[in-house]
Amino acid sequence: MNNDRAQMLRRLQEADFAMYEAVLYLDGHPTNKMALAFYDKAAKAYCDLKEKYEMTYGPLTIQNASGPSWTWIQGPWPWQNEMEE
Amino acid sequence: MWIYDKKLQYPVNIKNPNPAMAKIIITQLGGPDGELAASQRYLSQRYSMPYNEVIGILNDVGTEEMAHMEIVSAIVYQLTRNMTIEQIKESGFDTYFVDHTTGIYPVSAAGVPFSATYFQSKGDAITDINEDLAAEQKARSTYDNILRLSDDPDVMAPIRFLRAREIVHYQRFGDALRVIQDNLDYKNFYAYNPEFDKR
Repeated sequence: MNNDRAQMLRRLQEADFAMYEAVLYLDGHPTNKMALAFYDKAAKAYCDLKEKYEMTYGPLTIQNASGPSWTWIQGPWPWQNEMEE
Repeated sequence: MWIYDKKLQYPVNIKNPNPAMAKIIITQLGGPDGELAASQRYLSQRYSMPYNEVIGILNDVGTEEMAHMEIVSAIVYQLTRNMTIEQIKESGFDTYFVDHTTGIYPVSAAGVPFSATYFQSKGDAITDINEDLAAEQKARSTYDNILRLSDDPDVMAPIRFLRAREIVHYQRFGDALRVIQDNLDYKNFYAYNPEFDKR
C-alpha cells in the first residue's frame, strides 16, 4: 500500500473511531445535545472522507462496489500488508 | 470491520408461541451445523487464503451467516414470547428455561453449548472449501428436518429462505473450488498447499 493511501486510510480510521465513540455514548445518553452535535460533525467528516477514499482506492462497503469491473475483491484485504504486494 | 444493518435479511413475524419448536430451531444458532459455526468457519478461513475471488466468497458468505444467526435468534425469540409455565413444562423447554429463562444462548437442540470443534480452519485451500461445501449441505439437511417437524407457516417461511441460502452458498463454494483448482498444478492438485508452501 502506497504512502498516500496508508495516510488517507489512517485518517478514515480516526474519523470512523470518533463517530463510533459518539454512537456508544449516545446509545446510553440519547438526548445529550453536545454528544448529538459531536456525532453529526463526526459522521459527516467520516462520510466525506470515505467517499474520497473510495473514489481513488475502490469500495470499502458493498453498497459502493459497482463499476465496470468487480473491484470489491481486489487486495489488499484489511489483514494484508506490504508483504503480500 | 463490520457495520450493523438494522434490518433482518428476511422478515420474521411469528404469532403463536411454540417452545418445543424453539428448542429444535435453536440448533441452527448454536448446534453443530448452525449459523454461528458457519460464520466463524468462513471468516476464520479467509486470512491465509491466497486467491481474491475465494477470499471474497468466504468474506461475504461469512458475513451473510451472521445475518442468519440473527434470523434464527429472532425466530427462537418470537417462539418463546408469552409462554405460560405450563407450556414451558409440557414442551420440554424447561431444561433450557432453567439456565437461560428466555434469553438467547447458542446451544444445540440437545442443549449442548456451542463449541469451536464444530468447524475447522485447516489452512489448506482444497481442504477448507471441501469442509465448506459439506457444511452447507449439512445445514440444508437440518433445515429440511426442521421443516418436517413444523406446521406453522410463520415459522416455515423464514426456514425455507435459510434452506435456500444453503444451496446458493454451496454453489458459490463450488465456484471457489474451481478458482483454487485453476490456480493449482492441473496434473496434481495436491502437489503443494498454496496457503503455506512456496512454489
